[in-house]
Amino acid sequence: MARDIKLLVKDIEEATLKGAQEACVQIMNGLSKAGPAYTGRFSSAWYAVSRGGTVGGARSTGKLYTYDKRNVPLARFKEGTWYNIVNGMDYADEAMDLVPFVIKDFAKQDPVKNQTRGKRAEGGTRGEVSGSGRNTSTAPMDWWPRYNAAGQLDADLAQGFRRGFGTARGFGK
Amino acid sequence: MNYQTVRAALEGPLLTAYNNLAPAVPVYFDNVFDDNADSNEEFVHVNVLFGLTTQPTLTTALDQIRGVVVVRTHTPKGKGPARNQTLVDTAFTVLQTINNTAKPSTGVYVRLGAIDGPTFSPSFGGTTPDQQSRRAFTPFFISRIEAGFQAQVIS
Repeated sequence: MARDIKLLVKDIEEATLKGAQEACVQIMNGLSKAGPAYTGRFSSAWYAVSRGGTVGGARSTGKLYTYDKRNVPLARFKEGTWYNIVNGMDYADEAMDLVPFVIKDFAKQDPVKNQTRGKRAEGGTRGEVSGSGRNTSTAPMDWWPRYNAAGQLDADLAQGFRRGFGTARGFGK
Repeated sequence: MNYQTVRAALEGPLLTAYNNLAPAVPVYFDNVFDDNADSNEEFVHVNVLFGLTTQPTLTTALDQIRGVVVVRTHTPKGKGPARNQTLVDTAFTVLQTINNTAKPSTGVYVRLGAIDGPTFSPSFGGTTPDQQSRRAFTPFFISRIEAGFQAQVIS
């Protein structure tokens, strides 16, 4: 039986929220996949928050964290609010190659992702390793702007939103 | 697909512009990092990354090369931002010129998105100033601008 037209606005609101939720999950998994993961803490620390909202820390270590809808509760979304996807680790700027890398005192362990070895010059960024040397990198240099500006973010946003929107009452089911 | 042509369309004008400065400023591209520079040197590092190359449709996949170009300008530290900003302005001008160049009948057609930056590092703001961290040992004052691009190879 066709759904009553008077429910259309409510259905669109619900579908939009579900779209935003799935888009956030898809983007956070995309960032985790694209970015570095040595201990796994940075890749598990992506959060979707309203501007000025509180950002948490690492959710896990020693593995590549997989985000799901529990990480982005629907109740968090409110009409007319902007949301940012941000990373909660204090060294996020370094992980994103935005500032020079400062050596960390990580306990020696097997990195979560395969690592490239090479030499990182003084003042170089995290991913700036080349030639032969003992420095390591688990994601290509400038992976962040590449994800952000070279199409993958758009694709994840579209795919996630479509999936969420399509599961809403009156649209997909 | 001709990634090298696209790369050349971005790197070539930058190399020419920095070579034409007096004195010329060395430019390093991907896979030729300057890992032996002294702290009194100045140089530019250009990183071109490709993202999605095609756009799937119902029946086929169209060529649509997308990527990002990141330009980092290194100048000696502790001498103020003026020289660095002068050099980064060259990169900005080149990127703007690429954007304003008419579509050619052959070759590569490139259009850039918003130019983001420059940002500078080490910065001395925030709750823990870089000056008080180990980053203070970074030998260069580095500025960074970036812009996403779309490119089309015209045969």
